[in-house]
Amino acid sequence: MPPLLQAESITRIYPGGTVANDGVSLSVGAGEIHAVVGENGAGKSTLMKILFGLEQPDAGQLRLEGKPIAFANPREAIDAGIGMVFQHFSLVPSFTVYENVALGSEPRSGIRFDREKAIAQVRALSDQFKLRVDPLARVSNLPVGQQQRVEILKALYRDARILILDEPTAVLAPQEVEELFVAIRALVAQGRTVIFIAHKLPEVLAISDRITVMRAGRTVGEVATSEVTEKELATLMVGREVSLGVERSQSDGGRACEIDTVSIQSEAGVSLATDLSLNVYAGEVVGLVGVEGNGQAELLEAVAGLRSVTSGEIRLKGENIVPLGVLDRRGRGVASIPEDRLAEGLAPGATVAENLVATRLGDPRFVRRGVLDLKAIRANAIALIDRFSIRVGGPAFAVGTLSGGNMQKVVVARELAEQPELLLVNQPTRGVDLGATQFIWASITRARDAGAAVLLSSADLSELLALSDRLVVFYRGRIVAAFINSGDLSAETLGAFMLGLETQDETTMKAALR
Amino acid sequence: MIDLLLAVFSTTFLFTVIRTTTPLLLATLGGLLSDLGGALNVALEGMMLIAALTAVIVSVYAPWYVAVLSGLFAGALLGALMALFHLRFKADIILVGFAVNILAVGGTVFALAMATGGDKGTSINLPSKAIPAIHLPFLEAIPLVGPVLFQLFSGHSTLTWFAGFAVFGVWYVLYRTPYGLWLRGVGEYPTAPEAAGIPVNKVRLWSLIGSGAFAGLAGAQLAMFNYVGFTRDMTAGRGFIALGAVLLGARHPVGALLAALLFGFFEALAIVMPNHVRWMPGEMIQTIPFVVTVIALILFSYRSRRASQLKTLTRI
Repeated sequence: MPPLLQAESITRIYPGGTVANDGVSLSVGAGEIHAVVGENGAGKSTLMKILFGLEQPDAGQLRLEGKPIAFANPREAIDAGIGMVFQHFSLVPSFTVYENVALGSEPRSGIRFDREKAIAQVRALSDQFKLRVDPLARVSNLPVGQQQRVEILKALYRDARILILDEPTAVLAPQEVEELFVAIRALVAQGRTVIFIAHKLPEVLAISDRITVMRAGRTVGEVATSEVTEKELATLMVGREVSLGVERSQSDGGRACEIDTVSIQSEAGVSLATDLSLNVYAGEVVGLVGVEGNGQAELLEAVAGLRSVTSGEIRLKGENIVPLGVLDRRGRGVASIPEDRLAEGLAPGATVAENLVATRLGDPRFVRRGVLDLKAIRANAIALIDRFSIRVGGPAFAVGTLSGGNMQKVVVARELAEQPELLLVNQPTRGVDLGATQFIWASITRARDAGAAVLLSSADLSELLALSDRLVVFYRGRIVAAFINSGDLSAETLGAFMLGLETQDETTMKAALR
Repeated sequence: MIDLLLAVFSTTFLFTVIRTTTPLLLATLGGLLSDLGGALNVALEGMMLIAALTAVIVSVYAPWYVAVLSGLFAGALLGALMALFHLRFKADIILVGFAVNILAVGGTVFALAMATGGDKGTSINLPSKAIPAIHLPFLEAIPLVGPVLFQLFSGHSTLTWFAGFAVFGVWYVLYRTPYGLWLRGVGEYPTAPEAAGIPVNKVRLWSLIGSGAFAGLAGAQLAMFNYVGFTRDMTAGRGFIALGAVLLGARHPVGALLAALLFGFFEALAIVMPNHVRWMPGEMIQTIPFVVTVIALILFSYRSRRASQLKTLTRI
């Protein structure tokens, strides 16, 4: 019997000349959980897009049950029984669960949308595959984990035999990951096939039957999960041995930044963060832990001056910086690596050199009497490109043409070109490959060792655990727990606090908040 | 003052409210369709104006219902034109809408002058027709409330009744059929219907066509019932009031009806007041519906802010 779904020597070259897939092969048997692993930029997403009809291969062949097949668009892939759940959900927030699931394939009676039938169908699917979710709930009120279930239900509702999950665990807390795995096992037990894209190896080892490893646009191996260790897998993925360990901070400086009972509201008046109090000392990294949307990002924006606070003070070396604008704060030594490098960190159409001086246009070294000193700007760029080993053709290249990792290095280079007093970092390595991750982590720790106080937020718990000296957990806009990062602090412990399942007593929290 | 109050609580006044509300309600329903589909239709005003003139001119040569239909089609055609520029040529919908409004102001005067042989102000010398009123003599036979019901509901335009039923019709389509689900999905988060294989641009096209059709009916009602004949700029901002009514009505058909009634009430008030309140200049009274629109929208946005605050408070 031929494998259920096969990709044979798929090649995909993007118009810019980037070879995303170079003779990639994948073979998925019916009823198995097949993981595809690789670093960011290894070509996993491109391969999945081809399987789902979002992109067409330049060469190679897809086979479904041995028969050649090609998908011109997602609709054809859906009709062939392939469903895909993207990292970014496509759900209408104000619709109910059943409306979202049925959207586009509604059961009808006459011209009427047969809602009773849709609700019954969703309820049946949700019971059958252990994807617990209330069909009548409004999607915008659901936590991310349940929204993901709605996405999976959507695919199942359209009779997907093969379900592709694109980094499904990236947005989930550890407890939610466990629930997702239960659902995936239920799917497979009932004859469905799951393709699981990931880069977190322990999860892959926990859930999959077989693993295909990709590196730099090629498949470098296919292994049975039972016959491989995490270390072997990592070596296969990266092509060399990696160590991502980070030295803990040695120095113990003075109190650099005090966040004193800060509350933040959105423009619509919705409370985003309440009574946050937190101190950061020079030479330490404080990690802000929490499921996205619980106030960490808003606090970083408030400290950077991008968001106003409704009450409370933020003091830098004793001076309240709340009344100051962004530039004044930067002048006092605040540097910020924002969450979204393309939207907030860089001007993608401008050159690398321009981006590297964009925050220092008041500096007489680069601007004299209101006129740009192009020579100095170029020299600055060449120096920083070298110091931060940014891979780029030269200072005059547009930032938008760089890879994710190199773009992020441009941001890091600009923010750390001068030693900051307070460094704000949000998602420093999202969508960045392992090599660049290592480099960015090293840059952050170097700034820390030189005396910067660092506030770090990340969706990646292992990153927070690796870099932070202390960790503060956010839940619904409040600080609910604080820890000094010792070796025995685990992601599971943090997860329980992130989801509000556990609470910490006052004294323990006070002690860790210093 | 007392006599103004008496006038307001009379059945004749309420009759006038229903009459002034009708074009507003039709335009509001049109605004609602495009707004839910994700495009703010600022061209309601221009669509109404062009449809009004089209209906008047056609009614000179054809029966009234053909004239009303021609108004509807004029509006729908403008909607399709906006869709073409917005969806195919990627022009900004607000700018396209204003282009239609500007075209309407100048174009109707030009066309009016052509049709009347030189009159640039009104179509007074064109023998245009009116939409027939529906008389309900049987209402009077009902004991006790009969005469009041008769005075209130008999003698309204055919389109008034249509507008009333259209509130239900629009609600049914929006909330009980797949097409309504698609429309609301497209307006709120187009990625989702796109991923589900729904032709997003086609849905948007039809929402603009529907929006134009309702605005066209509003124009026909205005120039073939509320007034018989066309006057330059006769829409007098009703299209923009309708846009306000869409928001004030919380983007729901029933809300649209209530908001249109509110604005219709103040428009009727502006008609009745000059006879009772002599110390106030007529021009000032004429501004009442617009001032009320602004105040209503401010109160509405304040209220919805408070509501979302309360919601989060209870959640925490």
